[in-house]
Amino acid sequence: MSARALLILVGCAVLLLAAVLVGPRLDGAQGQFIIWQLRVPRVLVGMLVGATLALVGAVFQALFQNPLATSDTVGTTAGATVGALFALALDSSRTVQGLPLVTVCAFAGALSGSLLVASFASSRSAHSSDVLLAGIAVTLATSALASGIQYISDSRALFAATQWSLGQLPQVGYRGVLLLAPLCAVSCTLLVLLTRSLQAFALGEELAHSQGVNVPRLRLFALGLGSLGVATCVAWCGPIAFVGLIVPHLVRRILGSSYRVLLPMSLVVGAAVLVTCDAFARLIVPGRELPVGIVTAALGAPTLVFLVARGRR
Amino acid sequence: MSELEFDELSVEVKGRTLLDRVTLRVARGDFVALIGPNGAGKTTLLKAALALRAPSSGRVRLANTPVTSLDARRRAELIAWLPQHIRAEEPLTSLESVAAARYRFRESHACSQRAAERALARVGASQYASRPITELSGGERQRVAFACLLAQEAEILLFDEPANHLDPGQQLDVYRLLGELWREGRSVLCINHDVNLLHQVGDAARVRVVGLRAGRVMFDAPFDAPALPEHMGQLFGVELDSVQGSEQRFIVPRARRTS
Repeated sequence: MSARALLILVGCAVLLLAAVLVGPRLDGAQGQFIIWQLRVPRVLVGMLVGATLALVGAVFQALFQNPLATSDTVGTTAGATVGALFALALDSSRTVQGLPLVTVCAFAGALSGSLLVASFASSRSAHSSDVLLAGIAVTLATSALASGIQYISDSRALFAATQWSLGQLPQVGYRGVLLLAPLCAVSCTLLVLLTRSLQAFALGEELAHSQGVNVPRLRLFALGLGSLGVATCVAWCGPIAFVGLIVPHLVRRILGSSYRVLLPMSLVVGAAVLVTCDAFARLIVPGRELPVGIVTAALGAPTLVFLVARGRR
Repeated sequence: MSELEFDELSVEVKGRTLLDRVTLRVARGDFVALIGPNGAGKTTLLKAALALRAPSSGRVRLANTPVTSLDARRRAELIAWLPQHIRAEEPLTSLESVAAARYRFRESHACSQRAAERALARVGASQYASRPITELSGGERQRVAFACLLAQEAEILLFDEPANHLDPGQQLDVYRLLGELWREGRSVLCINHDVNLLHQVGDAARVRVVGLRAGRVMFDAPFDAPALPEHMGQLFGVELDSVQGSEQRFIVPRARRTS
């Protein structure tokens, strides 16, 4: 492993540790409770979500051969939004099997959004650019649906919907971690196993096909697994902007484009970035918490511009 | 022994006939140069051999199996392709790009990398193994693409204008290497615009030239056939001169045919 990669790993570990420790002075039993029952599970949720979003971003960018592709591009986030708005319009306090209705509906929406796009992608003749277009079409259609739902919602549901759409790490404790972890882990592990075929994909879809990559199958696997991971995250946290877009570009800029490095490092850096942004969101306005989605968007946009500008020099 | 057979192959896309009942056989150890005007269907023929284009009728067989029903890895073991352009937008290093072409082998990354180093050395590209392919010149990138093809270790090799956009020195290098690969026992099907370069592959008398126009095979003749200039003249609609050089015959276009 290169010295740079090692340095980044150490840096990420420090950031994660700092995110647990920074904050107002904590003493005694109450302090212990805040650290172990509130902050640690929240940092764990942030790690899972950040890692998944960043990895899926990197995989989708490779799959669509498009540097701007993220999970937002293939209908996952849009589907989740419709699901969540639907649930909020009904009744935000209801639960299903002990899970909030919003989460269940957002998950279902995210999967059906991606399923629509994936069913298109699985046709043999579809090219990656067609899949991207299908994703954009689904996103547009669902946002029309979302506007419709908002139009008939009452003001309390509207406020809740706005809150949800900002994206924040929920205070869900260890139970939330246990619910998130298996789905994220399955999705991420299997995606990392696609490294070799994605690497072949980098020189072009048709060349990869001629080298023995089963392109329709790869596309279906990557889309399905990526959507599963992102649907899980979005269902709990709402749409968190920019992590899936920025982190892979950041890693690529520092460590190069080899997917053998890019995919695992996106996991680690994604986790550290989201957790750090969440710590910011917790501390930046004293006595009040901002949704982490606002922080990632505020930091992400200039970072993207900076990366593009640096790339063009 | 594996061979590539096109059997009454037709390919239609959106009502347009790209290939029209093409029958062609590339037996083991054959060298077939495919020539024809732009839009004749040459690239489509190669893509059909790779199962990138589905036949609308007829079939393509590889080692006696329809190519569309072959498992992807098995197909990659039989046939490899040097496309006209390779996509070079992702700044992978040359070494990583070539190692990725070993996809069909179920082997460790270290193994792929060693094979990639050998392939790069063979095409004279070792000195830029660790440079990103996005920063290479056209000629250098073509060598890396060639190394990808070598690393795949397939039996039948397809080339789509391998000397396109290269300077004369590089063109000679490419065709000499092509000849080496052929003499090692591989079969070659190569789209080519300048038949004179075929002298570089050595043993030119064994090279076949196939003319394709409007999706049809117009002729299939040995490279040293006396009638080749006439065939080519008809194929391209030009008057050709056949000039005897010190060692070889050159075929050079003189003027458009008027009639």
